[in-house]
Amino acid sequence: MSSTEQGTSSAAPAEPTTAPESAAAPEVPESFYYVHGKDKVVHKVSAGALQHSALIHGMISNLGYTEEQAKANPFPFENIDGDILQMVVDWCNQHKGKPTPPEDTNLPKQKEKLFDLVLAVNYLEIKELLTYCCKQVAMMVKGKSPEEIREIWMIPTDAEDEAAEKEAKKRAGKEAAGETAAAAGDAK
Amino acid sequence: MASDLENITGKAAKLSIEPIYDTNWSDMPDDIKLECIEQMELKEIFRMSLRCTAKAERSLVDSQKIKFTDGILCTNDECLVFILYHNKKSIVTKHSKDVTDGYESMKHIMKIGVFEKLIIAFTNPLANNVQFMTDEGLFTARNIEFNAWHSDKVIPVLRKMKNGVESIKINSTLSEELDQILALSHVQNVPYWHIQHYEQTDSLYMVAQMWIDTNSKIGSVFQVSVFGDGSFEEFLKHFDDRILSKSEKRVRIRTNNSDRHILMEFGTIQDFIYQYFRLMVISAEMEESEYDDNCKEWIFKMDQDVRYVNELLNIEGYDEYDDSDEFDELGNYRRNDNDGYWDSDD
Repeated sequence: MSSTEQGTSSAAPAEPTTAPESAAAPEVPESFYYVHGKDKVVHKVSAGALQHSALIHGMISNLGYTEEQAKANPFPFENIDGDILQMVVDWCNQHKGKPTPPEDTNLPKQKEKLFDLVLAVNYLEIKELLTYCCKQVAMMVKGKSPEEIREIWMIPTDAEDEAAEKEAKKRAGKEAAGETAAAAGDAK
Repeated sequence: MASDLENITGKAAKLSIEPIYDTNWSDMPDDIKLECIEQMELKEIFRMSLRCTAKAERSLVDSQKIKFTDGILCTNDECLVFILYHNKKSIVTKHSKDVTDGYESMKHIMKIGVFEKLIIAFTNPLANNVQFMTDEGLFTARNIEFNAWHSDKVIPVLRKMKNGVESIKINSTLSEELDQILALSHVQNVPYWHIQHYEQTDSLYMVAQMWIDTNSKIGSVFQVSVFGDGSFEEFLKHFDDRILSKSEKRVRIRTNNSDRHILMEFGTIQDFIYQYFRLMVISAEMEESEYDDNCKEWIFKMDQDVRYVNELLNIEGYDEYDDSDEFDELGNYRRNDNDGYWDSDD
């Protein structure tokens, strides 16, 4: 596995910040985890940032660990593209411990990227980001006619759907017939 | 510890989404599509446009409910009009000269709409549409009002209502069909309902009898305005053996449930020809001192015209009404005092 560390959070575990003079209890150092996507690029993310992801938060909650163990066992999200995971990590870092704003204008405008991000965010269970993404998806077809929507989102018409279904059935029939013939040949 | 982490990373790998190429709308799971549809607004039509792209998208869009504060559906001989309000702002107005086309749109709106208040004022064309009357779809509304509706269409519409109706206002003339209306479960369970301008004298005893038979809840209210005498007398005659107390304005009767009584109240407004009645299921423990002597309040609740005219009569100087005085576009009385302005302060 490539172990290139990226992201704003790739620095060493959090340095203790300047403690308030009157603080009685020492601050607990922030813990970090590691994730990687399809491109195997490892991202170091703080537990605070990962709280946005209900999936990861559920995995790591109440789990004691050492820095070395976490580093040696990054969470593999093999089917999330590296650039998409990078976007997710960046978003989690940006919004760590902050209230989420009503709008997020930094989401990708490119259709395929946005849909990939939606799927990744849905899988990682990042509710607020999913809402932003869905708004962005809705904006893509604002004011468009059914034909335009169909074109933008590549929605097949009912006729195309039916034709594809017929074709699939036909193919399945042929394959079944081929298998039967082959089995009969083997028997002979 | 290490084994824990191994388990978790293994779990993450297993959970990973399947490879997707050229990701597009059709690759989205239905729950995400619904989340996106929820972000679309009806007023911008595109939600309706998405509905028209393919069968699958239509059923998806149709599965998503939209809350409307008010909905007014009306027809006349020429067209169908929808006025839908979301947070008291008008968001859709549709006029359709093709009633069949209009019916399809209306069916969709009724299917997806959850109305706080639904006002229906259809006349013949749509109401006579056989499909409308027999369609299985149900309306969801907390409060429903019938205005200028052919009375024989009230029952089919009420039958199409989903449970949870809190008020039914019938502001159109009913004649013969009260027994059928009383058989409807919505009417039997609704906390408040009224009929304006009822032509018969049987409503009071029939409603009270229905409440007795169904052991209706304390707090149930029915109001009616009738033209002419007879309703009060018929009520007395029908419940002769149940009367607990009676006066010129009130009659209290017992029900089969010892916990509850029915109170019938009579009210009039000066200069108005209609007689107004209110029936209530009350607690058997309610004292006479708790009775509400202000009949205007409950009469105004059912009859806005009476409220309006009553307010008009209370305008100082109204008696000196002049032919040149008029009502403004909002229906407010205005005095023409030749100062170039219409105002109600004069």
